[in-house]
Amino acid sequence: MTIKLRGVMQSPVTPLKSDFSPDLPTFERLLDFHVRSGSPAISWPHHKGESLNLTIAERKRLAEAAVKVVAKRVPVTIHVSALAVEDTMELARHAQEIGADGILAITPYFWKPSREAIFDYFVRICTSIDLPVISYNSPSYLAGVEITGELMSRLIERLPNFVGVKEASFNSEKFIELSRVALKLRPTFAMLTGVEYLLPSVPLGGVGSYSAAGSICPNLCNSLFDACVAGDWPRARELQYKLSRLWLLFRDQYPSSLKGGMVIMGRPVGPTRAPLPTATPERQAFIRAQLEALGILDSEPHGW
Amino acid sequence: MAGDRLAGLVHAPVTPFTRAGRVDFEVYGRLIEFHLRHGADALALPMHAGESVSLTETERRALIEHAVKQVRGRVPVVVHVSDAGTGIAAAHARHAEAVGAAAIVATTPYYWTPPPAMVLEHFAQIAAAVKIPFLVHNAPEEMAGTRITAELALRLMERAANFAGVVDSSLDWQFMIELVDTARGTRPTFRLLSGVEYLVSAGAIGAKGALSSLAALAPTAVRRLHGLCAEDQLFEARGVQEEIAALLQLLKGSGAAGLKAALHALGRDCGDVRPPLRPLGEVERGALVERLEAFAMLRAEPRGW
Repeated sequence: MTIKLRGVMQSPVTPLKSDFSPDLPTFERLLDFHVRSGSPAISWPHHKGESLNLTIAERKRLAEAAVKVVAKRVPVTIHVSALAVEDTMELARHAQEIGADGILAITPYFWKPSREAIFDYFVRICTSIDLPVISYNSPSYLAGVEITGELMSRLIERLPNFVGVKEASFNSEKFIELSRVALKLRPTFAMLTGVEYLLPSVPLGGVGSYSAAGSICPNLCNSLFDACVAGDWPRARELQYKLSRLWLLFRDQYPSSLKGGMVIMGRPVGPTRAPLPTATPERQAFIRAQLEALGILDSEPHGW
Repeated sequence: MAGDRLAGLVHAPVTPFTRAGRVDFEVYGRLIEFHLRHGADALALPMHAGESVSLTETERRALIEHAVKQVRGRVPVVVHVSDAGTGIAAAHARHAEAVGAAAIVATTPYYWTPPPAMVLEHFAQIAAAVKIPFLVHNAPEEMAGTRITAELALRLMERAANFAGVVDSSLDWQFMIELVDTARGTRPTFRLLSGVEYLVSAGAIGAKGALSSLAALAPTAVRRLHGLCAEDQLFEARGVQEEIAALLQLLKGSGAAGLKAALHALGRDCGDVRPPLRPLGEVERGALVERLEAFAMLRAEPRGW
């Protein structure tokens, strides 16, 4: 029941055909690209993978494909968060059945659950399967609903398979409230962050992140992690500033703009499902100019 | 004042009151000496931890003049000039400069929750009132969500040659990184300072200093944390940062009242807080003191003056 979580772990977008149906062959090619370009783990479908715009049946079908294509070269975790908690439970069981290495689950959407309700929710998920569970904290997207240090300590004490957190508040105080409590109780606990915010988190015990821009610039992601663990802060700063500019570029209409950028990099993955827009040719031209200015076109792989 | 003189550890003292509720200038003098002996590279006053908004205009000016005289140029004094009205804040700024402040600092205007264009105008007018460096304090949690953006900072640079940096209490990585990255191209001397004692992440991002009110309580630990971060010893700083984070959490709910109660427990009595803040009750005070005694870190801190 162990899983190694370290480095900038990629979460693929979900390629769609022009009729907005899932494009399975391109999805398989993208998974392979991420593994070959050095991702230490794969996690799908994050919000950037349009998880909430896929049906439960589609999520299961593509999760199976992910496990099969990656074929144990690196660990695969499945993001099981859904609007209905019953669907989350179903996706968690399914992830275990198909041989995934772990799951990721955010605090429940929409309802603004109390701290006790969040506790019960994670207990229910973690006790329903044997897989390692990574929690996901994103208070700015969920109206302040969050995992506090106190809640974190109770979850770790109660649940042996509660192994990590994707801490996506991007806030010094919130990160350290979780890291100092979690790492004391469970030294192997994986403190992860979102996007690629490694520079402010690795010095506090962070061991990695998920990734926004990894389908555009895997080399930059991996170099930033290396610089941070080596304590080469001047270099880490430059790399983090560059990745931050990319995040500002893609954060606008995320992940539509990311899919637009992938066209530029020779890895087209089709449109984005509504209510998200699809990047227009004008938007793509703007993204190309930005990528060129940042030197991404010369330093990162083109095509599959 | 050279820009790099703003780059160190800036202590933000509380404001002592007598039993009768008047500013206690005698204790204030003693407190300032304490800060200078215990690692302050500069002072910032009266910040919110110094109950700036609870002082009358007359008291505020007297306090600043007293502080500048007491310090006698040994370290720079940064004067806090925030107010609701732009003209009033600008007048505070002019007074600060006239009595010898080395720099001024201001938050977004109180109460109005202004949109960015109004915030920009507010800051531009305060900056234009003086020639000394002007720092903007970004404290969205205290200011009902009104925040500085990197774009707003860039536009303020175009308007104000003396806009020298941002003191950040948002603790927001996205903002801090964008600010440092965009500001350096426009104004190389521009500084990011931490407004709360979470220095490791801010230091990694590129902050060059910090404002600290906790330094009244734990000056040794804050100095150590600041020193390690200033030398890019970020992994080494984690331990002391975690201890300081725990102390910040203990004091978080009670604000200036909790800080004053803690100072009293360490033998540095600065009186109580002014209304509308309420001093801690006996039970709360007892619980706080008990929990403070459990902090190993505080055993290495000075007791008394």
